[in-house]
Amino acid sequence: MIFDEKFDVIVIGAGHAGCEAASAAARLGVETALITLNLDLIGQMSCNPAIGGIAKGHIVREIDALGGIMGRIIDRTGIQFRLLNRSRGPAVQSPRAQADRALYRTEMRRVLEFTSNLHLRQGAVAELIVENNNVIGVELQDSRRFAGQAVILATGTFLNGKIHTGSKTFSAGRAGEPASIDLAENLKHLGFPVGRLKTGTPPRLDGRTIDWDAFEEQNAEENPVAFSFATEKIEQPQISCHIGYTNDKMHHKIRENLHQSPLYSGKIKGVGPRYCPSIEDKVVKFADKDRHQLFLEPEGHNTNEVYLNGFSTSLPSNLQQDLLRMINGFENVQIIRPGYAIEYDFIDPRQLKPTMETIQIKGLFFAGQINGTTGYEEAACQGLIAGINSAFYVQKRDPFYLKRNEAYIGVLVDDLIQHGVDEPYRIFTSRAEDRLTLRHDNADHRLSSKGFEIGLLSGLDWENFNKKRDRISMLKEIINSTRFKRSDIEYASISQLLNCDLGDAITLSQLAQRQGVNLDLIYRLLPQNIQSQISTNELETTLADSLYSGYIENQRVVTERIYHNDNLRVPEVFSYKNISGLSNEMAERLERAKPSTFGQLRRIGGITPSAVSTVLVHLTAHKN
Amino acid sequence: MKDTIIALATPLGRSGIGVIRLSGEDSLSTIRKLVRDKNFNPKPRFAALKKIYDFETNEILDEAVITYFQSPQSFTGEDIVEISGHGSPVILRQIIDLCLKLDARMAEAGEFSLRALANGRLNLSQAEAIRDLIDAQSAASARQSIRQLRGELSNELQPLKDDLLDVIVVLESSLEFVEDDLPAVQARNIKEKLVKIIAQLEKMAATFQAGKLLREGLKVALVGRPNVGKSSLFNALLGHERAIVTAIAGTTRDQLHEKLTIKNIPISLIDTAGLRETSDTVESIGVERSKRTMADADLVVVLLDGSENLTAEDTDLFDQVKDLNYLVAINKSDLEQTKIKLDEKIKLLHISAKTGEGLDKLQNAIIEPFATNNLENTGFLISDARHFDLLRRSVLEIEVSSHLIDEQTSEEIILIGLHNALRFLGEITGETTNEDMLTRIFSTFCIGK
Repeated sequence: MIFDEKFDVIVIGAGHAGCEAASAAARLGVETALITLNLDLIGQMSCNPAIGGIAKGHIVREIDALGGIMGRIIDRTGIQFRLLNRSRGPAVQSPRAQADRALYRTEMRRVLEFTSNLHLRQGAVAELIVENNNVIGVELQDSRRFAGQAVILATGTFLNGKIHTGSKTFSAGRAGEPASIDLAENLKHLGFPVGRLKTGTPPRLDGRTIDWDAFEEQNAEENPVAFSFATEKIEQPQISCHIGYTNDKMHHKIRENLHQSPLYSGKIKGVGPRYCPSIEDKVVKFADKDRHQLFLEPEGHNTNEVYLNGFSTSLPSNLQQDLLRMINGFENVQIIRPGYAIEYDFIDPRQLKPTMETIQIKGLFFAGQINGTTGYEEAACQGLIAGINSAFYVQKRDPFYLKRNEAYIGVLVDDLIQHGVDEPYRIFTSRAEDRLTLRHDNADHRLSSKGFEIGLLSGLDWENFNKKRDRISMLKEIINSTRFKRSDIEYASISQLLNCDLGDAITLSQLAQRQGVNLDLIYRLLPQNIQSQISTNELETTLADSLYSGYIENQRVVTERIYHNDNLRVPEVFSYKNISGLSNEMAERLERAKPSTFGQLRRIGGITPSAVSTVLVHLTAHKN
Repeated sequence: MKDTIIALATPLGRSGIGVIRLSGEDSLSTIRKLVRDKNFNPKPRFAALKKIYDFETNEILDEAVITYFQSPQSFTGEDIVEISGHGSPVILRQIIDLCLKLDARMAEAGEFSLRALANGRLNLSQAEAIRDLIDAQSAASARQSIRQLRGELSNELQPLKDDLLDVIVVLESSLEFVEDDLPAVQARNIKEKLVKIIAQLEKMAATFQAGKLLREGLKVALVGRPNVGKSSLFNALLGHERAIVTAIAGTTRDQLHEKLTIKNIPISLIDTAGLRETSDTVESIGVERSKRTMADADLVVVLLDGSENLTAEDTDLFDQVKDLNYLVAINKSDLEQTKIKLDEKIKLLHISAKTGEGLDKLQNAIIEPFATNNLENTGFLISDARHFDLLRRSVLEIEVSSHLIDEQTSEEIILIGLHNALRFLGEITGETTNEDMLTRIFSTFCIGK
């Protein structure tokens, strides 16, 4: 076969998964092509111009700790940073930032353009070239052929994308961009199980037509918490957002016009996410709620465009404007881009390995929304894992993947490949069994050594991390050994401040766990020479470790009790068919799911308890 | 590290001896607490006779043979302690309950064998045999679960699990969807709900005692010197003629066993041979047996003849039962009474086996020390020790969470105990998955920007 160009890895799609994948592969030293329909829309945020949030922010920091790029780019282009759940424990706090959409895109493209071994190509991939169940390249619509030993599909909502507004339906990958129809056909033809999902996006408004005083202002935080462990300071000027509410009158009008919504007329067959409902859904399913919250989020420094978060809709465009004008402050509002719903194909992720490689075609990887997820962060981390493993595949290095107790990324990938998806999959902290361990602030402690070993984390970052780790272990030592006795001057003032007796003596770490004690107080009580050496972030991490250590140990004992066999590994080569007493049906199910641990096996749907115990006996015997 | 598991190794029911087996790191420390001897260092594989105490009341429960098998020289490869006690299910269960309180866990079907396999004490072909065993056991327990699912346990537990899930949903949502416009979490409200759940779980767990009673019943021995009317009473309680009643002392030479129920509690009633020092060989064997029967019974009914004075034999009898659980019934209230004087502390009942007078009082007195609840009105019963263990653990977990709410601890920490409790309850009624929880969240609150 004749190829126009030859690469090691080809990434299709330059969204959040594709960018992360291409960057990782190229930086690991393999020649990488990133093919996109439109070079000007690399790293485009198709929906909400924000990154992070509870659990999602954790993932971005994990990506960063492994040496990915998303965290660094949002730190340079974010215009409103907030640390969510500040009043709660450190494990459930998470950074979120609104991006300047255009800046994010430009910065992503700049970073990719300056990555060696990375080659940007514009074009539409029509077909994968597969030989003997090995992918060997791709063919474009304009009949160019690129060779690649590994191909990563990161096509987002483009596979057979179909946009709905009111009664109008048209084929598109995103508003204003064509869908990938040939490629979708090709994947079906190759035998991949295809499903259909739906998502929606709200209208964008002209900021000049909004009466801002009618809305409640939400300021940026004074000390923004960055995503990347390498970021020292957020440089972008920070802006405010505004909050408003829908009203009864508007709800009434929505109900009157439900027949015009393709969601309710039965036109949309795909399943949408329950945690990102359209305004139609909100009004119908929560009829007793008399108002719903709306966020007015400016799209950037150099535009008047405003993203109306909370008003995702597929009602006809003219009706969207009428509805909005019923809100105080929106009397004269003009819609720049109407909201819409989009249906797209996804491939059942249960046919993936934890490396994101497909089981049936060697060298072919899927990452991002194609696997049924939603969210930039969820997409990016899959891109990172696929990017790393595509390079490792070419270089014949051992595959890399994360376990559920190591990272949210591990939880996400495991959930996808074990359970598949019924609706667009989003990460939540409650999905992680080890929520207390997987904090955003310790992502580097969990993953930086892996990032360095993989070869993505730079020597400088690794060195900085090691210094930080040393400072934290020193701090740990100090907060456990610094004690205040009744006779100490500090004791009296602390006791007075907290208005309670502290016993005969109290250490700094014990003090930190008391109600009403904040970080500043502990910081002030540290020896002065220590204060100057450490940052408050480092103190926070140290205190979080000590806050949770007891709970984590207790929890370990409880889960050990319940799931004591979960870590039992299923050998690479393990024939379920040869196990006597296991029905054919069970054996087939297990062969298909290929669980790598007993824990995964136990969670596979449709396996009888008797089959589980049968396999357990064999796994236990096999271990010896 | 593996936790310590416990199970009854001999079949449940009446037998001469009952063996409880503990396996795991804490086996030895557990038995040390039961025998009240911190320095108890049994020589591996040698039997040691020890008294077993209830460490909560300091009462002696049983005298048992303790055998210690040191890791790895044991069936499971772990430290094993075997407690061979007298066969009374009531006492065996009491001993198991004490071990559970000391943090042992009821073993799952086949778990001992699985541990043996894991520690290389069994080979694959032996493992195959065990698999069949596990299959059989899980089939049996599956049948039982189905029964329990259809029955009242699940009906009673499901709403509690739902209530618990509701609390979890509120707390999880407040953590997970901070930017959404959710109603503020009312700590007091949550606390009240938890207190209610705890109370109901405890009520359920309390039926365990009653459940045991219903399932295993009581063994009641009827003793007395010859011809005080034991056989007449036996027949009167049974409501039909079973024992041969004659005026000749010593007619009942062998024991008679009969089943009857008093207020739904199955009673195994034993009419003992007349307790009399004798040279008649047949009768003397019977007497020997009677003594053993008394020691093994949950309750001994000592029968006296109210128309006669106390004899030396009667006094002897009191001597024999003084360490046992017993009550005294004075028979022949239809005849003229001599004034029998006994220690004031001893409970007396006047009955007539012949006329039936006082029999209902006797029946009540027999079950009274055992029936903690009003058995006729108990809505449902926990009958499985494993379920009891899980209910108890759930309560402990919820109590911890409830306490953390008072301390205004952050939700992710409060939730630990609640999720654990839900898992434990799930082992009884079926797992609540993360997906179930999310479904509840999205149907309760309008989430999403």
